[in-house]
Amino acid sequence: MSDERTELGSDEAPDQGHDPSRRRLLALAGGAVAATLMPGVTLFARTLSIGSGKTPVRFGLLVDTTKCTQGCNACVSACQDYNGLSKDPGPDNAQWIRKVTITDPHTGFTRSFPVMCQHCAEATCVDVCPTGASFRRPDGIVLVDKHRCIGCRYCIMACPYKARSFVGRVIKDQKPWAPRGKGTAEGCTMCVERVANGKVPACVAACNDKGEKAMTFGNLHDPKSEIAKSLARFSTTTIRADLGLRPGVHYRGI
Amino acid sequence: MKNRALVIAGLSVLIFFGAIWADHRGTVPVPLVPTAQGHCVLPTALMRREHMMLLRRVREQIVRDGKHDQADRLTTCIACHVQTTATGASIPINQHGQFCAACHTYVGVHIDCFACHATVPQKAIPIADLGQTHGEQAAYRIPRVILQHAPALIARGHS
Repeated sequence: MSDERTELGSDEAPDQGHDPSRRRLLALAGGAVAATLMPGVTLFARTLSIGSGKTPVRFGLLVDTTKCTQGCNACVSACQDYNGLSKDPGPDNAQWIRKVTITDPHTGFTRSFPVMCQHCAEATCVDVCPTGASFRRPDGIVLVDKHRCIGCRYCIMACPYKARSFVGRVIKDQKPWAPRGKGTAEGCTMCVERVANGKVPACVAACNDKGEKAMTFGNLHDPKSEIAKSLARFSTTTIRADLGLRPGVHYRGI
Repeated sequence: MKNRALVIAGLSVLIFFGAIWADHRGTVPVPLVPTAQGHCVLPTALMRREHMMLLRRVREQIVRDGKHDQADRLTTCIACHVQTTATGASIPINQHGQFCAACHTYVGVHIDCFACHATVPQKAIPIADLGQTHGEQAAYRIPRVILQHAPALIARGHS
Protein backbone atom coordinates (compact mmCIF):
# COMPACT_ATOMS: atom_id res chain seq x y z
CA MET A 1 0.00 0.00 0.00
CA SER A 2 2.78 2.39 0.90
CA ASP A 3 4.50 1.69 -2.39
CA GLU A 4 1.32 2.45 -4.23
CA ARG A 5 1.19 5.84 -2.52
CA THR A 6 4.68 6.60 -3.72
CA GLU A 7 3.76 5.55 -7.23
CA LEU A 8 0.72 7.80 -7.30
CA GLY A 9 2.93 10.70 -6.39
CA SER A 10 1.81 11.56 -2.90
CA ASP A 11 2.80 15.11 -3.33
CA GLU A 12 4.00 16.32 -0.02
CA ALA A 13 6.24 15.19 2.80
CA PRO A 14 6.82 11.47 3.32
CA ASP A 15 3.93 9.48 4.73
CA GLN A 16 4.13 8.68 8.39
CA GLY A 17 4.21 4.97 7.69
CA HIS A 18 7.55 5.16 5.93
CA ASP A 19 10.82 4.42 7.58
CA PRO A 20 13.03 7.45 6.88
CA SER A 21 16.17 5.38 6.49
CA ARG A 22 14.48 3.27 3.86
CA ARG A 23 13.51 6.42 2.02
CA ARG A 24 17.09 7.64 2.05
CA LEU A 25 18.19 4.31 0.71
CA LEU A 26 15.69 4.59 -2.09
CA ALA A 27 16.80 8.13 -2.82
CA LEU A 28 20.41 7.06 -3.02
CA ALA A 29 19.52 4.36 -5.48
CA GLY A 30 18.22 6.97 -7.89
CA GLY A 31 15.12 7.23 -10.03
CA ALA A 32 13.78 3.73 -9.83
CA VAL A 33 14.26 0.86 -7.45
CA ALA A 34 13.68 -2.76 -8.29
CA ALA A 35 13.52 -5.72 -5.97
CA THR A 36 13.46 -9.24 -7.28
CA LEU A 37 10.82 -11.21 -5.40
CA MET A 38 11.33 -14.48 -7.22
CA PRO A 39 12.69 -15.42 -10.62
CA GLY A 40 10.76 -13.50 -13.23
CA VAL A 41 8.84 -11.33 -10.75
CA THR A 42 10.29 -7.92 -10.07
CA LEU A 43 8.84 -5.18 -7.92
CA PHE A 44 9.48 -1.68 -9.17
CA ALA A 45 9.16 1.40 -7.03
CA ARG A 46 9.37 4.81 -8.61
CA THR A 47 10.90 7.38 -6.30
CA LEU A 48 9.11 10.36 -7.75
CA SER A 49 8.40 12.16 -4.51
CA ILE A 50 11.83 11.68 -3.02
CA GLY A 51 14.33 14.48 -3.23
CA SER A 52 12.33 17.69 -3.15
CA GLY A 53 9.55 15.79 -1.36
CA LYS A 54 7.03 17.13 -3.88
CA THR A 55 5.74 16.30 -7.32
CA PRO A 56 6.96 18.78 -9.93
CA VAL A 57 3.45 20.04 -10.68
CA ARG A 58 0.43 20.42 -8.46
CA PHE A 59 -2.20 22.68 -9.89
CA GLY A 60 -4.18 24.76 -7.44
CA LEU A 61 -6.22 27.89 -6.97
CA LEU A 62 -6.06 30.82 -4.63
CA VAL A 63 -9.26 32.78 -4.03
CA ASP A 64 -8.77 36.20 -2.48
CA THR A 65 -12.10 36.63 -0.69
CA THR A 66 -11.20 40.20 0.25
CA LYS A 67 -11.64 41.08 -3.43
CA CYS A 68 -14.58 38.80 -4.29
CA THR A 69 -17.90 40.67 -4.17
CA GLN A 70 -21.32 39.32 -3.37
CA GLY A 71 -23.03 40.53 -6.53
CA CYS A 72 -20.44 39.14 -8.96
CA ASN A 73 -21.17 35.81 -10.61
CA ALA A 74 -18.61 35.89 -13.43
CA CYS A 75 -16.83 32.68 -12.43
CA VAL A 76 -20.04 30.65 -12.23
CA SER A 77 -21.29 32.04 -15.50
CA ALA A 78 -18.01 31.31 -17.29
CA CYS A 79 -18.00 27.74 -15.98
CA GLN A 80 -21.50 27.19 -17.32
CA ASP A 81 -20.62 28.69 -20.70
CA TYR A 82 -17.39 26.81 -21.17
CA ASN A 83 -18.55 23.41 -19.92
CA GLY A 84 -22.01 23.59 -21.46
CA LEU A 85 -23.91 23.49 -18.17
CA SER A 86 -27.50 24.67 -18.02
CA LYS A 87 -27.99 28.23 -16.86
CA ASP A 88 -31.60 27.63 -15.86
CA PRO A 89 -32.10 27.50 -12.13
CA GLY A 90 -33.54 24.09 -11.43
CA PRO A 91 -33.33 21.19 -9.01
CA ASP A 92 -31.16 19.11 -11.34
CA ASN A 93 -28.87 21.67 -12.93
CA ALA A 94 -25.21 21.11 -12.25
CA GLN A 95 -23.16 23.47 -10.11
CA TRP A 96 -19.51 22.68 -10.67
CA ILE A 97 -18.79 26.01 -9.01
CA ARG A 98 -21.12 28.02 -6.78
CA LYS A 99 -20.99 31.30 -4.95
CA VAL A 100 -21.30 30.93 -1.18
CA THR A 101 -21.89 33.73 1.31
CA ILE A 102 -20.86 33.24 4.90
CA THR A 103 -21.76 35.44 7.85
CA ASP A 104 -20.48 35.38 11.40
CA PRO A 105 -23.68 35.83 13.45
CA HIS A 106 -21.77 37.37 16.35
CA THR A 107 -19.91 40.05 14.45
CA GLY A 108 -21.83 40.38 11.20
CA PHE A 109 -18.61 39.71 9.25
CA THR A 110 -19.67 38.64 5.74
CA ARG A 111 -17.72 37.15 2.88
CA SER A 112 -18.76 35.87 -0.53
CA PHE A 113 -16.58 33.49 -2.50
CA PRO A 114 -16.75 30.64 -5.00
CA VAL A 115 -16.56 27.00 -3.90
CA MET A 116 -15.81 24.21 -6.31
CA CYS A 117 -14.04 20.83 -6.22
CA GLN A 118 -11.12 21.48 -3.87
CA HIS A 119 -8.85 18.97 -5.68
CA CYS A 120 -7.67 17.45 -2.42
CA ALA A 121 -4.38 15.64 -2.01
CA GLU A 122 -6.21 13.08 0.15
CA ALA A 123 -9.43 13.12 -1.85
CA THR A 124 -12.23 11.21 -0.14
CA CYS A 125 -14.01 10.73 -3.47
CA VAL A 126 -10.98 8.82 -4.74
CA ASP A 127 -10.83 6.69 -1.59
CA VAL A 128 -14.44 5.53 -1.79
CA CYS A 129 -14.73 4.96 -5.55
CA PRO A 130 -15.28 1.23 -6.14
CA THR A 131 -14.22 1.24 -9.80
CA GLY A 132 -11.26 3.62 -9.90
CA ALA A 133 -13.29 6.11 -11.91
CA SER A 134 -12.69 8.86 -9.39
CA PHE A 135 -8.96 9.47 -9.53
CA ARG A 136 -6.27 12.04 -8.94
CA ARG A 137 -3.87 12.89 -11.72
CA PRO A 138 -0.17 13.27 -10.95
CA ASP A 139 -0.60 17.03 -11.42
CA GLY A 140 -3.13 17.14 -8.59
CA ILE A 141 -6.34 17.50 -10.59
CA VAL A 142 -9.12 15.22 -9.30
CA LEU A 143 -11.35 13.89 -12.06
CA VAL A 144 -14.10 11.41 -12.83
CA ASP A 145 -13.17 8.96 -15.58
CA LYS A 146 -16.69 8.57 -16.89
CA HIS A 147 -15.70 5.53 -18.92
CA ARG A 148 -15.32 3.70 -15.63
CA CYS A 149 -18.03 5.43 -13.57
CA ILE A 150 -20.99 3.21 -12.74
CA GLY A 151 -23.03 5.99 -11.16
CA CYS A 152 -23.00 4.60 -7.62
CA ARG A 153 -22.82 8.11 -6.10
CA TYR A 154 -20.36 7.12 -3.35
CA CYS A 155 -18.13 10.06 -4.23
CA ILE A 156 -21.05 12.45 -3.96
CA MET A 157 -21.72 11.18 -0.45
CA ALA A 158 -18.05 11.22 0.54
CA CYS A 159 -17.17 14.74 -0.57
CA PRO A 160 -17.38 17.19 2.35
CA TYR A 161 -17.52 20.13 -0.08
CA LYS A 162 -20.58 18.88 -2.00
CA ALA A 163 -18.49 19.31 -5.13
CA ARG A 164 -19.71 16.23 -6.96
CA SER A 165 -23.13 15.80 -8.50
CA PHE A 166 -24.96 13.16 -10.48
CA VAL A 167 -26.31 13.46 -13.99
CA GLY A 168 -29.81 12.06 -13.80
CA ARG A 169 -31.15 12.97 -17.21
CA VAL A 170 -30.15 12.53 -20.82
CA ILE A 171 -27.87 15.41 -21.79
CA LYS A 172 -27.68 16.90 -25.25
CA ASP A 173 -25.46 19.52 -26.89
CA GLN A 174 -22.40 18.82 -24.81
CA LYS A 175 -19.20 20.69 -25.51
CA PRO A 176 -16.55 18.53 -27.24
CA TRP A 177 -14.07 19.45 -24.50
CA ALA A 178 -16.46 18.65 -21.64
CA PRO A 179 -18.21 15.30 -22.15
CA ARG A 180 -20.96 14.62 -19.62
CA GLY A 181 -23.84 12.21 -19.67
CA LYS A 182 -26.58 10.43 -17.79
CA GLY A 183 -25.61 7.94 -15.13
CA THR A 184 -22.23 9.35 -14.17
CA ALA A 185 -20.87 11.55 -11.40
CA GLU A 186 -19.30 14.84 -12.35
CA GLY A 187 -17.65 17.89 -10.88
CA CYS A 188 -15.18 20.67 -11.52
CA THR A 189 -12.41 19.43 -13.83
CA MET A 190 -10.21 22.50 -13.35
CA CYS A 191 -10.85 22.87 -17.10
CA VAL A 192 -8.30 20.17 -17.96
CA GLU A 193 -8.51 20.82 -21.69
CA ARG A 194 -7.69 24.50 -21.17
CA VAL A 195 -4.93 23.73 -18.68
CA ALA A 196 -3.43 21.22 -21.12
CA ASN A 197 -3.23 24.03 -23.66
CA GLY A 198 -1.51 26.36 -21.24
CA LYS A 199 -4.59 28.38 -20.38
CA VAL A 200 -6.05 29.08 -16.97
CA PRO A 201 -9.45 27.63 -15.99
CA ALA A 202 -12.53 29.42 -17.30
CA CYS A 203 -13.55 30.73 -13.86
CA VAL A 204 -10.11 32.30 -13.31
CA ALA A 205 -10.07 33.84 -16.79
CA ALA A 206 -13.54 35.32 -16.26
CA CYS A 207 -12.71 36.59 -12.78
CA ASN A 208 -9.69 38.42 -14.14
CA ASP A 209 -11.62 39.69 -17.13
CA LYS A 210 -15.06 40.66 -15.86
CA GLY A 211 -14.75 40.06 -12.13
CA GLU A 212 -12.64 41.39 -9.33
CA LYS A 213 -9.33 39.64 -10.14
CA ALA A 214 -9.78 37.54 -7.03
CA MET A 215 -8.66 34.18 -8.41
CA THR A 216 -5.17 32.90 -9.15
CA PHE A 217 -4.35 29.60 -10.84
CA GLY A 218 -0.96 27.97 -10.96
CA ASN A 219 1.51 25.38 -9.86
CA LEU A 220 1.57 25.18 -6.07
CA HIS A 221 4.87 23.31 -6.16
CA ASP A 222 6.76 25.87 -8.20
CA PRO A 223 8.15 28.45 -5.76
CA LYS A 224 8.47 30.95 -8.61
CA SER A 225 4.80 30.79 -9.62
CA GLU A 226 2.49 33.68 -8.78
CA ILE A 227 0.23 31.46 -6.69
CA ALA A 228 3.09 29.99 -4.66
CA LYS A 229 4.46 33.47 -3.98
CA SER A 230 1.04 34.69 -2.83
CA LEU A 231 0.59 31.64 -0.61
CA ALA A 232 4.01 32.26 0.93
CA ARG A 233 3.25 35.94 1.50
CA PHE A 234 -0.31 36.00 2.80
CA SER A 235 -2.18 34.16 5.47
CA THR A 236 -4.47 31.72 3.72
CA THR A 237 -6.54 28.74 4.68
CA THR A 238 -8.50 25.94 3.12
CA ILE A 239 -12.13 25.14 3.76
CA ARG A 240 -12.53 22.55 6.51
CA ALA A 241 -8.77 22.36 6.93
CA ASP A 242 -9.50 20.29 10.06
CA LEU A 243 -10.40 17.33 7.84
CA GLY A 244 -6.79 17.08 6.72
CA LEU A 245 -7.61 16.48 3.06
CA ARG A 246 -5.05 19.08 1.95
CA PRO A 247 -7.15 20.78 -0.73
CA GLY A 248 -5.54 22.42 -3.72
CA VAL A 249 -7.90 25.40 -3.48
CA HIS A 250 -6.79 28.01 -0.98
CA TYR A 251 -8.72 30.99 0.37
CA ARG A 252 -7.48 34.29 1.69
CA GLY A 253 -9.53 36.40 4.08
CA ILE A 254 -11.91 33.88 5.65
CA MET B 1 -44.16 -44.82 -37.53
CA LYS B 2 -46.00 -43.57 -40.58
CA ASN B 3 -46.89 -40.31 -38.76
CA ARG B 4 -43.30 -39.63 -37.80
CA ALA B 5 -42.14 -39.85 -41.42
CA LEU B 6 -44.88 -37.43 -42.42
CA VAL B 7 -43.89 -34.93 -39.75
CA ILE B 8 -40.22 -35.04 -40.76
CA ALA B 9 -41.11 -34.60 -44.42
CA GLY B 10 -43.40 -31.69 -43.60
CA LEU B 11 -40.76 -29.95 -41.49
CA SER B 12 -38.15 -30.41 -44.17
CA VAL B 13 -40.39 -28.83 -46.79
CA LEU B 14 -41.18 -25.97 -44.41
CA ILE B 15 -37.50 -25.28 -43.70
CA PHE B 16 -36.55 -25.57 -47.37
CA PHE B 17 -39.16 -23.13 -48.61
CA GLY B 18 -38.73 -20.94 -45.58
CA ALA B 19 -35.07 -20.55 -46.41
CA ILE B 20 -35.86 -19.73 -50.03
CA TRP B 21 -38.47 -17.23 -48.93
CA ALA B 22 -36.15 -15.57 -46.43
CA ASP B 23 -33.41 -15.34 -49.04
CA HIS B 24 -35.84 -13.97 -51.59
CA ARG B 25 -36.68 -11.08 -49.24
CA GLY B 26 -33.11 -9.91 -49.72
CA THR B 27 -30.35 -8.90 -47.36
CA VAL B 28 -29.80 -5.66 -45.50
CA PRO B 29 -28.09 -3.30 -47.92
CA VAL B 30 -24.46 -2.51 -47.16
CA PRO B 31 -24.40 1.01 -45.73
CA LEU B 32 -23.17 3.94 -47.74
CA VAL B 33 -20.61 5.44 -45.40
CA PRO B 34 -20.02 9.15 -45.96
CA THR B 35 -16.41 9.87 -46.87
CA ALA B 36 -14.27 12.31 -44.92
CA GLN B 37 -11.95 15.04 -46.03
CA GLY B 38 -8.25 14.56 -45.48
CA HIS B 39 -6.27 11.53 -44.43
CA CYS B 40 -7.07 9.10 -41.68
CA VAL B 41 -4.52 8.16 -39.02
CA LEU B 42 -4.59 4.56 -40.28
CA PRO B 43 -5.58 2.76 -43.51
CA THR B 44 -9.32 2.24 -43.87
CA ALA B 45 -9.25 -1.55 -43.55
CA LEU B 46 -7.27 -1.25 -40.34
CA MET B 47 -9.56 1.45 -38.95
CA ARG B 48 -12.65 -0.68 -39.58
CA ARG B 49 -11.22 -3.46 -37.47
CA GLU B 50 -9.22 -1.57 -34.89
CA HIS B 51 -10.84 1.83 -34.34
CA MET B 52 -12.35 0.80 -31.02
CA MET B 53 -8.94 -0.28 -29.77
CA LEU B 54 -7.45 3.02 -30.87
CA LEU B 55 -10.17 5.02 -29.15
CA ARG B 56 -9.88 2.99 -25.98
CA ARG B 57 -6.14 3.54 -25.88
CA VAL B 58 -6.34 7.24 -26.59
CA ARG B 59 -9.06 7.85 -24.01
CA GLU B 60 -6.86 6.33 -21.31
CA GLN B 61 -3.97 8.52 -22.40
CA ILE B 62 -6.05 11.68 -22.36
CA VAL B 63 -8.27 11.20 -19.32
CA ARG B 64 -5.95 9.33 -17.00
CA ASP B 65 -2.45 10.30 -18.14
CA GLY B 66 -3.35 13.88 -19.04
CA LYS B 67 -1.77 13.63 -22.49
CA HIS B 68 -4.32 15.73 -24.31
CA ASP B 69 -2.30 16.43 -27.44
CA GLN B 70 -3.43 13.39 -29.42
CA ALA B 71 -4.24 13.39 -33.11
CA ASP B 72 -6.34 10.22 -33.06
CA ARG B 73 -8.82 11.31 -30.40
CA LEU B 74 -12.57 11.15 -30.84
CA THR B 75 -12.99 14.91 -31.35
CA THR B 76 -10.61 14.93 -34.32
CA CYS B 77 -12.37 11.87 -35.80
CA ILE B 78 -15.67 13.71 -35.59
CA ALA B 79 -14.25 16.98 -36.95
CA CYS B 80 -13.01 15.15 -40.06
CA HIS B 81 -15.93 12.78 -40.63
CA VAL B 82 -18.85 15.08 -39.88
CA GLN B 83 -21.16 15.98 -42.77
CA THR B 84 -22.68 19.40 -43.22
CA THR B 85 -26.07 20.48 -44.47
CA ALA B 86 -26.57 22.84 -47.40
CA THR B 87 -26.56 25.73 -44.94
CA GLY B 88 -23.23 24.63 -43.51
CA ALA B 89 -24.52 23.26 -40.21
CA SER B 90 -22.89 20.07 -38.93
CA ILE B 91 -25.06 16.95 -38.89
CA PRO B 92 -24.66 14.90 -35.68
CA ILE B 93 -22.27 12.02 -36.38
CA ASN B 94 -24.59 9.52 -34.69
CA GLN B 95 -27.63 10.50 -36.73
CA HIS B 96 -29.19 7.96 -39.11
CA GLY B 97 -26.92 7.36 -42.13
CA GLN B 98 -24.04 9.42 -40.75
CA PHE B 99 -20.51 8.14 -40.34
CA CYS B 100 -20.80 6.34 -37.00
CA ALA B 101 -24.45 5.36 -37.23
CA ALA B 102 -24.31 3.96 -40.78
CA CYS B 103 -22.00 1.08 -39.88
CA HIS B 104 -23.14 0.56 -36.32
CA THR B 105 -26.76 0.19 -37.39
CA TYR B 106 -25.71 -2.28 -40.10
CA VAL B 107 -23.68 -4.50 -37.78
CA GLY B 108 -26.10 -4.06 -34.89
CA VAL B 109 -23.47 -2.87 -32.42
CA HIS B 110 -24.75 -0.34 -29.93
CA ILE B 111 -22.32 2.40 -28.89
CA ASP B 112 -22.87 4.77 -26.01
CA CYS B 113 -20.03 7.18 -26.81
CA PHE B 114 -22.54 9.88 -27.60
CA ALA B 115 -24.41 9.66 -24.34
CA CYS B 116 -21.59 11.91 -23.10
CA HIS B 117 -19.57 13.06 -26.10
CA ALA B 118 -20.54 15.88 -28.42
CA THR B 119 -21.76 14.72 -31.83
CA VAL B 120 -20.73 17.82 -33.76
CA PRO B 121 -17.42 19.68 -33.68
CA GLN B 122 -17.27 23.07 -32.05
CA LYS B 123 -14.46 25.54 -32.11
CA ALA B 124 -15.54 28.65 -30.25
CA ILE B 125 -14.63 28.83 -26.61
CA PRO B 126 -16.59 31.75 -25.24
CA ILE B 127 -14.16 32.75 -22.54
CA ALA B 128 -11.92 35.79 -22.67
CA ASP B 129 -8.36 34.63 -22.18
CA LEU B 130 -6.44 37.89 -22.14
CA GLY B 131 -3.32 35.94 -22.97
CA GLN B 132 -3.32 34.39 -19.53
CA THR B 133 -1.17 31.33 -19.25
CA HIS B 134 -0.07 29.35 -16.27
CA GLY B 135 3.33 28.52 -17.73
CA GLU B 136 3.07 24.83 -16.94
CA GLN B 137 1.93 23.47 -20.26
CA ALA B 138 5.32 21.90 -20.86
CA ALA B 139 4.46 19.18 -18.37
CA TYR B 140 1.72 17.85 -20.61
CA ARG B 141 2.94 18.87 -24.04
CA ILE B 142 4.06 15.66 -25.66
CA PRO B 143 5.11 15.00 -29.23
CA ARG B 144 2.37 13.53 -31.35
CA VAL B 145 2.83 9.80 -31.51
CA ILE B 146 0.13 8.70 -33.87
CA LEU B 147 1.16 5.46 -35.41
CA GLN B 148 3.39 4.01 -32.75
CA HIS B 149 1.42 0.78 -32.69
CA ALA B 150 0.50 0.65 -36.37
CA PRO B 151 3.55 -1.25 -37.67
CA ALA B 152 2.84 -4.04 -35.20
CA LEU B 153 -0.77 -4.33 -36.36
CA ILE B 154 0.25 -4.34 -40.01
CA ALA B 155 2.90 -6.97 -39.28
CA ARG B 156 0.17 -9.15 -37.78
CA GLY B 157 -1.57 -9.12 -41.14
CA HIS B 158 -4.31 -6.64 -40.39
CA SER B 159 -3.86 -4.41 -43.40
